[in-house]
Parts: sequence; C-alpha cells; structure tokens
Amino acid sequence: MCVAMVVTVVSVMSGFLDMLKNSGRQIVGDVIVSSGIGGMPYTDEFLVDLKGLTDVQGATPLIDTIGLLRMPYPLGNQKEVNHVQVWAVDPISLATVTDYANDLYWKPAQNPAAADAMTEDDPRKNLTDSILTDGKTLVQSKTGNPGITLGIHVSIGNERQRDGSYRPRYGWFMPGNDVTLTVVPVSSQGKIAEPREQIFTVLNEVQTGIYEVDKNRIYIPLKEGQRLLRLDEAPLYDLNAEPDAQGRYPVIGNTPARVTKILVRAKPKVTANELRSQIETAYASFANRIKADPARTASMPNVVNILTWEQQLRDLIAPVEKEREMMRVLFSLIYLVCAGLILSIFWSIVVEKTRDIGILRSIGASRFGVMWIFLRYGLVIGILGSLLGVFLAWLVVTNINAIHEAIGSDAPPAIWIGSFVLTAFFAIGLAYSIWRGKLLPILLWLLATLVMGLIASFLALHHGTLIWDPSVYYFTTVPDQVDWWTAWTTAIGGVVFSVIGAAIPASKAADIDPVEALRYG
Amino acid sequence: MDELQINSHAHSDALHPLLEARGVRKTYSFGSVPVEVLNGVDLAVQPGEWVAVLGSSGSGKSTLMHLLGGLDRPDKNGGEILFDGKHISVTHGKRLDRYRNLDIGFVFQFYHLLPELSVFENAMLPGMVGSWMTNRSEARESAGKLLDSFGLSHRLVHRPGQLSGGERQRVAIARALVNSPRVLLADEPTGNLDTKTGEGILDLLAQRHANGLTLIMVTHDPAVAARATRIVKLANGRVVEDA
Repeated sequence: MCVAMVVTVVSVMSGFLDMLKNSGRQIVGDVIVSSGIGGMPYTDEFLVDLKGLTDVQGATPLIDTIGLLRMPYPLGNQKEVNHVQVWAVDPISLATVTDYANDLYWKPAQNPAAADAMTEDDPRKNLTDSILTDGKTLVQSKTGNPGITLGIHVSIGNERQRDGSYRPRYGWFMPGNDVTLTVVPVSSQGKIAEPREQIFTVLNEVQTGIYEVDKNRIYIPLKEGQRLLRLDEAPLYDLNAEPDAQGRYPVIGNTPARVTKILVRAKPKVTANELRSQIETAYASFANRIKADPARTASMPNVVNILTWEQQLRDLIAPVEKEREMMRVLFSLIYLVCAGLILSIFWSIVVEKTRDIGILRSIGASRFGVMWIFLRYGLVIGILGSLLGVFLAWLVVTNINAIHEAIGSDAPPAIWIGSFVLTAFFAIGLAYSIWRGKLLPILLWLLATLVMGLIASFLALHHGTLIWDPSVYYFTTVPDQVDWWTAWTTAIGGVVFSVIGAAIPASKAADIDPVEALRYG
Repeated sequence: MDELQINSHAHSDALHPLLEARGVRKTYSFGSVPVEVLNGVDLAVQPGEWVAVLGSSGSGKSTLMHLLGGLDRPDKNGGEILFDGKHISVTHGKRLDRYRNLDIGFVFQFYHLLPELSVFENAMLPGMVGSWMTNRSEARESAGKLLDSFGLSHRLVHRPGQLSGGERQRVAIARALVNSPRVLLADEPTGNLDTKTGEGILDLLAQRHANGLTLIMVTHDPAVAARATRIVKLANGRVVEDA
C-alpha cells in the first residue's frame, strides 16, 4: 500500500509536470531571444541569419508588453477593464514555432457527425471556417481589418464544462465582439509616452493549456503592436538642422522597426541547450556586423537575453517540480511506517517463538541461520509487497480517469441496492451472533453492518463528486502514465526498508540464549 | 589443546571417553545473587555406555546436560567439556553448531516439537538447518526410516498437536537421531509420560543403545535410571555416587 501510494501520487504529479512542460514549450518555442522594452532593431536580418542555421526549424518576432483591455460587457457605459499581457505577433511564423494555430479554441465541427455529437448550446456546432482562418491570420476576412485573439479565460464569457469544452457564460460569445486595447509606449530610456488605444474585433480565443497564459494573454498583429508602441519604422529627423517653413526638420533616414522577442524552434532531436549555444554565436556575429556598419541609424541593445524555454519558464515550472519532490519526500516517510510495522510484527513473532528458536539452536541452527529466517521473510514481504504495490499503482494510474469519472457520477442503482442487501445480510449475522451470545462475533458483525450501511447510504445519496473538476481545475484528463523510474526506485526502497525493519527482530532472535529459551520459552 | 574438529564418526579407543566433564562448575546469577549449580563435576562417558544422571530437582542435572550438549558453557576457569578428546567448552560459532547438529542429539522432557511442522518435517529438521548437510535427501530418507521403525509411518503428515505424548516423544527421538549422532542426550525423556508409555520410550532407547548408541539420560526417577548401564548420582552440584 505504501509503495502504491507513493507511485500513484508521484506518477500523477510527474504527469502534470510533463503536461506543463510540454504546454510551456509549445507556447514559447525552444529558445527565446529577448531584449528590454526598447526592442531590437534589424531583426528581419537576424531572422534571416537564424533561418540559415541548420538546427533551426522556425523563428518568429514578437513584441511582449502589457496593456489594458476594455471588454464589451457589462451592458451600459461602465465596461470591465482587464490588464493583459499583449503579444504582438506575426501569426504565420508564430505557428511554425509554437502551437498557436492549433491552440485556437473555436473551430467548426470537422464533419456532420461531429456536429451532431455536439449539444445545441455548443457554439462550435454552427461555426464556419472563417473563424479559424481569421484567428490564424489575425485579420478579419470580412472587412480586412486587423483583429485580436484572446486567451480563453481573459473574458468572463467562457464557462468550462466537465468534458473540458466551453459554453458562453451570461450570453457572451466573444468572437465578433469589439474590445479596446490600450498600451503605453515606453522609450528605450524608460520614458512613458501618451497611451494609445485601438479597437479590435475578437476573431477567436486561444487555449494553450497553461492557465496563467490563457487568463492573461492576448494576440494582435505585429504591425499593429509596433505602431501602437512606437516601435515601427519611422523617419529619422535631423534635430540639429533648421526646420522648414512648416516647422519640420529634415529627414536624414529611417529608424528600423523593432521587436522585443524572437522565439526560435529547434529541429527534431536538437536540444534547446544546443540551439541556444548556436544562437548566442549567431547573435554575437550579427550584433558585431551591425555595430561595424556606420550607415546604421539604430544601435543594438546593450543586453540581450538568450534563454531556453526551461530557463524562461523557470518561475512556472520550478514550483511544480519542487512540489513533486516535496511529495516524493513526504510520502517516502511512509517507508518508516512500513519498516516500523514489520519491526513490531516480527518482534512479536520473535517473542512468541522464543522457545522454537531455542529448539532450532539446540539442533544445530547457527545464529546467522536463525537471523536469516527473519531476514528472508522481510525480504519476501518486501519484494511481494513492492511488486503488488507497483501493480496496484499501475492499475490505479492507468485507469485513473475511469475511476475519476466513476467517482464523479451517480452510483448505479444495482450497486447501492446490492449494498443495502449486503447490509441486511450482515444485520442477520448480527442478530444470530447476539442470539449466540459471543462478544467478538457480535462486535465484528456490528461493525460490518454499520460500515456496509454507511457505504450503502453514501452510494444511494451520492450524486458524483469530481475530485479534479475540469470546470474548476485546468485539465480535462488526469495524467495516466506510470512514472516507472519512481515506481522501481520506490519498490527497491520498499524492499530495503522491509529488510531493515526485519533486521532488528532478526538480530534479537539470533541473540536468544537457547538454554533460557528452552527453560522459560 | 585441540578444539573440536569436524566429525569423522570414527570409533574412538574403547578406553578413551567419548564425552567427558572435568571439574565443571556453573554459576547462575539471579539478580545480584550468584547460585552455584554445578560445583566441580567430573564425568567420563565411554562409547556405547548408557549413563543415567540421577538427582532431585535443583541438583544441576539439566544444567550438566546443557553443558555436555554445547548449549551452555562452564564458568570461566570452571573446568572443561571434551568430546572425543577435543574441547567443546572453548568452541564457538559454526563448530559448536555443527557439534550440536551432527555429533549429539537432544531429547527433551516436553518434546519441544515445532507445532507448525508435520511429524515428518519435525523429524528431518536437523537435516534442514545444518548448512553442512550436503545431501538433504539423506536426512529425508533417514527420517522416514526412523519414523517407520518407531511405528509412526501413518502419522507423517500429522501435526504434533494431533499426537499423543508417547508419539510426540518418539518423534522427538527420531529428530534427535536423524543425523546419526554418536551421543544421545535425553533430559527426563519419560518425565511427562505415564508409566506404560514411558516404558515404551525406554524400550526404544534401549534398542538404540543395543545398536551401539551412547546414551546420557537425566532423570529424577530411580526406576527409570535403573534401565541404564551406569547410574551417576548428582546432589548439590556434585557427583556423589557413580556406579
């Protein structure tokens, strides 16, 4: 049981961690190149350099900033305003680096059968392809205007169901509604300019699988982001010259457009760390080239961070990893209970079998031979218990979703009626034992009747309790893969602690004086 | 002086004692009070002898038996026990285990059979616990023969709890003899049996003695002791008569 508990808990937690890591990698790519809020210029050239690297599968520029989003609800003038993380992206190249295109939640049913399977209140039943294509391009096909996609939990309009799907809440189906985005341009020196705002039509919503992202992030086209944040290409004026009659300074060139991040995806079998090294080298070469060119009108940022996705998402992943390790350590304390149980049981056996141990010693059994009897039993119990524990954990973990679903549903009438029948049978046993007048059977039948009665009542009144309700927790299925490394290390730990638990009474048995044992045992 | 060596089962010189106690003293401490149980016991048992150690309760006869059987040791500088001329009182570890397993056999007043094992398993137990027994099938065969000759062939799969007192003692004797020891040490072998059953046990022992087995039997009953070829009387931890 100890082994089964440890393996089950750690496997499920490892599964969650893997889910988190996979989702994390799918939203930021393998390597992230990021600068300060002033952005990096000439990134078009750097992207060409990156795409020239053999291990790069794709790269995409973006601006990452914060903003305020005025929602269309509630009705009336006082609208709700949320603070959001704004990603101004090139959606086409973003889809080559992240799972953006697949993460768009609102998709039309793929075929009539799928549509028929959807409930009437499911908006997907009546969607057309345009909602998906608009989301993928961030352009409203009907008007040609730039649009916006929201994380699925940015608005209050999506109510999560037990099957993980969504239904409009309070009648708000966000695609098609207009929202107002306000951002504050900040110069590379950190000076705040006049806030800028723009109305966008919501084209689709995005579900990445990481709640923090889906609760805060919105996507707009890169060009719109650059313009709003004054990171777009602009004329460069000579402020030292005399202005003309209209007060305009002479134009001496253009400042290039900027982005604050570049996400890079590695080719299969290339690790994020390997790719990061290559990108560091490529960036150093690129930056030197730009600096060496006197015709460049913009300077490169002093500091550029090049991080792997794990480094970038460390704040997100590290707590879950720590939590898992904490669980592993805490649950491993069960080993001590296991060893203690074996110790106390074996100790009792040794005390009870003192005379038999004396007999064995009198006929020539060695001290080690006597010790080995108990060690061997400890070993056998450890091995069998651990194997059984791993098997039980495998059974639970691989069926955890079915178990979870069963707990979350009404108990079938046959089961609770059967439980009441069993309770009645136990009650008859209780009556019979009272008639017989033996105390122990009365107690046992009474306990059986009460426990079974409670179980039957619970089952009859139970209408389903989901432990991890997908409408509350952010996953639709519980991870159902056994963490085999944990399973086998836990099993070995179980065997070792069983033997340790057995070793103390075994040593006591070996130390038993045969004369004393035979005389008083 | 030589310590006990591996049992050769060779017959010793007829004048050479097979098992010998020389000036053996043994003191037990009950709390802070030392009680001297044996006070310089000398006893030499020749091969083929049947010696009855006769004494009243508390005379030290069981203690002497434990010392002779290697279950206990004399006091420091409290004499010596020799088997076939070799010291066992300074022997320990595997050699002593081997001595108890192969050279001697123990029969106890209360049989001391293991209740979870069958008659057959109890009888062959010494063959199972001795790691030096290279051929366990020999022990199995020997146990089968002994139980058969003791009239217990129909009881092989029974548990000790299903047997009468006499049957249990016969199983205990079969167990003591399964490794063909040279000496059988019997501690009040009829003490827990009625007279008739006790006689049967003594007949069985007499039969083994007739076949050349050396027997040392502890008893408080002169009638039982009379079956032996030699009676050694023990009183207050000393040999007071040897006839």
